[in-house]
Amino acid sequence: MGALRDIAIIAKWEVKKTFTMMGRNVLPLAIVLFVLLILVTGFAAQSGMHLQDGMYRVAVDDPELGQLIADDPRFEVYRYPGRILSWEDNLYDLIIIRGQVYYRGTDKSRSALKTVERNYGKYVNNVYNTADDLFAAYPLWIDTQSVKSELDFLATQSGQYVSAAPARGGAPVPEGEIAIIPTPSPELGVTMEEIRAELIQTGGQDTQISRYTEILSSGSSTMGSFRTPAQLSPPLPFDSIILIFVFVFPLYFTSQFFMMSIMNERIERRGEILLSTPVKTSSIIIGKMLPYFIGMVVICGGITAWIGASPIIMLPLIPVIFFFLANALIIGMISRSFKELSFISIFFSTVATSYLFFPSIFANVHVISLVSPLTLIVLTLQGTAWTLTDYLYSTSLFWLTGAVLFAIGAKNFKEERLFSEKSLTSRMREFLSEVISEKRPFLSLFLITGFTIPFIFMVQLMCLVLFFNLPMPYSLILLLMFAALVEEIAKGIGIYTLYVRKPGFFSTRNLLLACGATALGFLIGEKLLLFVTLAQITESVFGSILFLSIGALWLPLLLHFVCVLIVATCLKYGGRGWFVPGLAIAMVVHCLYNLYFILGWLS
Amino acid sequence: MKAKHLSIIAKKEFRGLISERTILLAILLQLFIALFSSFLMVGLTSMYDPSSLSKYSRFKYNIAYAGNDSALYGYLEESGDFRVYRMDLSTGVAALEQRKLSAVVYVPDTAPDSADPVKITMYTLTNDLQSAIVDVKLKEIYLKYETDLRAIRADRITEKPVPLAIPKAAGGGDFYEFVYGLLIPLLVFMPAIIASALIIDLITEEYQHDTLETLISTPVTFTEMVWGKVLACEVLVPVQAGVWIVLLMINGIAIQNAGLILVQVSVTSFILILLGALVALHYRERTAAQFIFSTALVVVMLFALALPDNPLNLLTRLAVGTAGMEQWVVLGVTVAIIIGLGILMHTYAEKVGRTHQSG
Repeated sequence: MGALRDIAIIAKWEVKKTFTMMGRNVLPLAIVLFVLLILVTGFAAQSGMHLQDGMYRVAVDDPELGQLIADDPRFEVYRYPGRILSWEDNLYDLIIIRGQVYYRGTDKSRSALKTVERNYGKYVNNVYNTADDLFAAYPLWIDTQSVKSELDFLATQSGQYVSAAPARGGAPVPEGEIAIIPTPSPELGVTMEEIRAELIQTGGQDTQISRYTEILSSGSSTMGSFRTPAQLSPPLPFDSIILIFVFVFPLYFTSQFFMMSIMNERIERRGEILLSTPVKTSSIIIGKMLPYFIGMVVICGGITAWIGASPIIMLPLIPVIFFFLANALIIGMISRSFKELSFISIFFSTVATSYLFFPSIFANVHVISLVSPLTLIVLTLQGTAWTLTDYLYSTSLFWLTGAVLFAIGAKNFKEERLFSEKSLTSRMREFLSEVISEKRPFLSLFLITGFTIPFIFMVQLMCLVLFFNLPMPYSLILLLMFAALVEEIAKGIGIYTLYVRKPGFFSTRNLLLACGATALGFLIGEKLLLFVTLAQITESVFGSILFLSIGALWLPLLLHFVCVLIVATCLKYGGRGWFVPGLAIAMVVHCLYNLYFILGWLS
Repeated sequence: MKAKHLSIIAKKEFRGLISERTILLAILLQLFIALFSSFLMVGLTSMYDPSSLSKYSRFKYNIAYAGNDSALYGYLEESGDFRVYRMDLSTGVAALEQRKLSAVVYVPDTAPDSADPVKITMYTLTNDLQSAIVDVKLKEIYLKYETDLRAIRADRITEKPVPLAIPKAAGGGDFYEFVYGLLIPLLVFMPAIIASALIIDLITEEYQHDTLETLISTPVTFTEMVWGKVLACEVLVPVQAGVWIVLLMINGIAIQNAGLILVQVSVTSFILILLGALVALHYRERTAAQFIFSTALVVVMLFALALPDNPLNLLTRLAVGTAGMEQWVVLGVTVAIIIGLGILMHTYAEKVGRTHQSG
């Protein structure tokens, strides 16, 4: 109970401090800026975005057509001088004479042509919208019905899409039972005037933008699912980017405040008072974090309510929030200066965005997309159900890494760490060193290596997602090398930290023991996490590289042991300078081992 | 103000950036983005214009045709993109679910010259890359069929648009507008935003780390110190923007007027840096200053983008080589704003400096 009361007190204190600091000077200006923002948004909506104005030059002989082209500010329209002077002077991208468009062989000219084509199509539609007999002007309507299909990972072992191309001649035959699809009605079921109103309304808005707004609003048009061919825009495979903007960016913004609050405690030893109280460090951290956590949950809840989505969305978001806060804590604790804080946080947010965004592109296509919690949000918005296993699968790494980072942060939240100024890498080493116990170094090594596993999986999955796009042999080779390197680094850092702290510690006996502890910790951590979460991926080719060796346990144990031993021996006899070469050698050994088994596996 | 003092301060800041290796992180970040630019390119472009995806596939897709005969069947047969099978609707949809087909088209029994519209039902897979391509290809065929139907019903159409014959362009040009009209201005302008965030860090740091006293006790005045920091940030902008331009060129994107682009970016970023410096001098505390500045940045950027001939638009025009005399007008206006802001910042810094000297 005492701890809870402490947390509440610290949280209250944090809120009060933030508000007194922000309140006096910032609030009035913030309100002014907010009002300005609304005004400017209105202005921008009225005048449009002028980013691409005047990109193309067009010469036209007919003033009516010239006006039509000039309606799009991307075009600068010139009066056609009477004869083609010369293409060579590069003056015009397009020339329009007697209702015929002429273009050049450059990319720019072709791009201009495409834009004219699109604009002309829009203009034609606007003319037809006023036609008396709407069904003569729009004789064809397409009713799009979406069908859901999920692939299992095994089907796309090669990392490519299934190409639906059976042998020539025969029509494909579905397996299993065939559900009866009712014959669609040939009628639209709406009156002509209703359609006209809808056409005029949709004709006004830019389909490029409205598609994105439609993702968020479960908007219902009177027309239902059918469109004219011109209105048909393909389904977006990249709609999750909008979710990044809507859900994840506010989280970055808020976690910045937490980062700054931690940093502020360190400036001029201000946090000393806090540390001198009889409150446990974990309570201090949780107390300081709580207001931001609640704030972020409220923001996400607000957005969810605003777009009218199901509150289930919050479930995958909470581990993301937790993960961001854990990283903010560590970033706030290791940065030496504000500029370092800025750059590290920008770096972190780019990498985290990639991790969240890239896999979710493949939502509905591939099981790999479930690596990112954003996919669950995409699925929820679509109204597709997901299971508890899916949830564990996509969020467990966020929970685990977040928790490990918090533990490291809490352990290091004390005077000598907070108020010293050292370079980034040596600070990180000190943080780790703090976690390695003096009395039981081997147990610590065992645990540390075990706890690096979630991080390794995160990095490796990120590589998997990125290399997924490369052609087959390259993606495998790159993945092979990266996977080995990441694992060797993870195993090596514990030993390295211990070596730097106490170079004399590594007698031959201790060296062997340390390597054994590390290898064992790695193996057990890997297997534990594998069985909990990643069964699906482990069954594919990619999985076999990342998490080879489900079967015999002594073989991987030996591999891990040998690799760590290489690194440790290099350290012992070569000193700190030999750490990187040692890693390289270990990586090669690891790669060869993997290659042998994959080659064997393939043949 | 002494030039020597300014350069001393600027050098000090550079040393700080280099010794902390933060600048390395920034470069790493740039490389990270550039490395995956091919992926970004395909991804973002298709977001921007999904129809560009269709050029990525050159093999035939299987589709099922169900329902009644129509000219559409002929068009599908003719097209090199599809292999059409006549199938029962239910069988087709079941095959689609198992990904043995890419789409199923159902055509009803409506006469081409009927008073009613022809309503085709199309079954596709949800939200997937391949079906995006198939949809684009099907759209072309639907448009052809629509033109036919329109011609049959032509006597019933009263309003006719001005005719314009547009030739079918042979591929290419899909990425042009995206690369030159969005990617280049945003990437090249990113260093300006980073630099203006940096100036806030540099100034508030002196306050919050209490290093100001030491600095002022040297011959360098407070105003000189602020200008030195502004200078350091300003120098970073053309360097980083230049790196972007080189990276883009390595990726095969030809950029015209690279020098003029750097001039425009450097000048425009000066406005943002001065704004950042003003905010930092006023608040002297990072959280508040960054919060106010980032909100102000959104307002300023949105306002600028809504104006015709804004500096970002100018970057686009310079890159494609359509910028005319107006670039010098814009440059003149930007410089005028800089002089105004510069005087404001200078006076403010002097005022702040006096209070420090007396207090």
